[in-house]
Amino acid sequence: MFTKLYERLYVKVLVSIITGYKKTTVYIEILNKSGILNSYEEEFDTKYVSIEMYEYIMSYTKETPYFYISILDSSPSQGAIGTCSKHKVGYFEDLSASEYKCYKDRWTYYTAKTDVYAIEKVYEKIGVDFIFSPFVLLANFFKDKIDTHLAMFILIQEGSLALSVFNKSELLYANYLDMEIEIASDELLIDDNDIAQIEKEMQESIDLDDIASLDDLDEIDDNFGDIADLDSIDELDDFDEAKDIEEELAENEDMQDYSTRNTESINEDYKRFSLIQSAVNIFYKDEKFESEFIENVYIGDGVGVSGDLKKYLEEEMFLNVYVRHVDLASELCAITKMDLA
Amino acid sequence: MMYSYIKPRKKSLFTPEMQLLSIFFGITIFMLLGTYLFLLFKDYRFTQDRSEIIELREATSMEIDLIQKSIISIEEEKVLSETVFTKNTVLKDSIANMFDLVPQRITLSEAKLLENGLVLYGVTPNKDIYNFMLQAPLRSIFHRTYSSFYPAENGWLHFVSTNYVDKEEEIIMKPIDEETQEDDAKEEIEDEE
Repeated sequence: MFTKLYERLYVKVLVSIITGYKKTTVYIEILNKSGILNSYEEEFDTKYVSIEMYEYIMSYTKETPYFYISILDSSPSQGAIGTCSKHKVGYFEDLSASEYKCYKDRWTYYTAKTDVYAIEKVYEKIGVDFIFSPFVLLANFFKDKIDTHLAMFILIQEGSLALSVFNKSELLYANYLDMEIEIASDELLIDDNDIAQIEKEMQESIDLDDIASLDDLDEIDDNFGDIADLDSIDELDDFDEAKDIEEELAENEDMQDYSTRNTESINEDYKRFSLIQSAVNIFYKDEKFESEFIENVYIGDGVGVSGDLKKYLEEEMFLNVYVRHVDLASELCAITKMDLA
Repeated sequence: MMYSYIKPRKKSLFTPEMQLLSIFFGITIFMLLGTYLFLLFKDYRFTQDRSEIIELREATSMEIDLIQKSIISIEEEKVLSETVFTKNTVLKDSIANMFDLVPQRITLSEAKLLENGLVLYGVTPNKDIYNFMLQAPLRSIFHRTYSSFYPAENGWLHFVSTNYVDKEEEIIMKPIDEETQEDDAKEEIEDEE
């Protein structure tokens, strides 16, 4: 009773921390009983807690005892499994050394216990109240689409991707792809010559936008014998109907704003594309996963990817790609509020 | 709903600063309360001691009164004893003087010491011896002296000498009177011997 009273007397400060390659974003939201009073965001050139970052966070948290610090888990040993049954979980992943939770009794997300301890250790000075999985953030961000669509949902963070395939809120496949590991393997690094070659390949490949008439189809048919799958106009129409028009319109508005912020290099986008491609291959080929044909991809863009990624996915994998910008820190803050409620 | 891998830390108003403040104020209040209780106890003890001391003082003053009374009584007794002792000394001297007055040729058979006088009974060979040897000194001592004679069987004379001192000397003679009866008895015994 007194706790509720004290909570009303004090403001709440929610601190969301998003860690990337080399920088950390700190988003602070100050709440009172009527709503959000203020919000602040600051970026720090560190992956850990620097003195500046510590002082910045403490300058807000010292005002109230009711402050909560949330961190988006970016550890590589995390993932999600499409079941909550403890018996079935073992079929997909050994979770004996993992911390895991069930999302709405539908699917399980997990991370290594050691990584949780490591995060707690790194943020020992300021303390940690919540550690959230990017899959939870993804599920909340695309909850309007996940519940009704069969699609691949990708959350792009700096240095990592949370990829999941949902069929009407049923998780079919999920994988957390760490770009840092891939960089270390040095397999995906490409130079300018490679980029030119890729572009050339893409020009030679099928562009669905160009398929406007039966004549074009015939032309394609001449060049590619394996296009027999798309052997009727009806199926092509179905394929077009699978497009999410509403999302496309929203995306166009978003992309207009976003084009100026598009600073990621093509190199990074190609790495992301490669990771997505390999993950999709695993999804299709691995018998553990119930394969469904993916037509649509919803991307929650937390870093500001270039249009190249969308182009790669559309042209190389024949996917309908919808990119939505996501403010990871404020989304994390929203999940924190949900958890506190 | 709980999406986080970990549970949030318990939030309390007692931040380290608040804890420090609470400890500070706690210690201060404790010390003030302790001092207040100590003073209360000391006040209670003081009141108790004071009442005990008042009782003791009263008892002591009562004892002092008693002692003073007994001192007065002892002093009175002492004065009395000294008076008695003085009187007895005077009496003894008087008796000694009296016997010194009596010549060898006169025999006293009885002596009575009165309040303001002396009555002597005795035997004298003749009146002259009595008049010259006993009556003369008696007259020098007493203001009034009366003598009467009657013959004895052996030819001597029995005499009764009554001597009085006037009122001025009565005060001096008073203590002697108290012993008169006893002395008479003694004189009679001596005469008989």
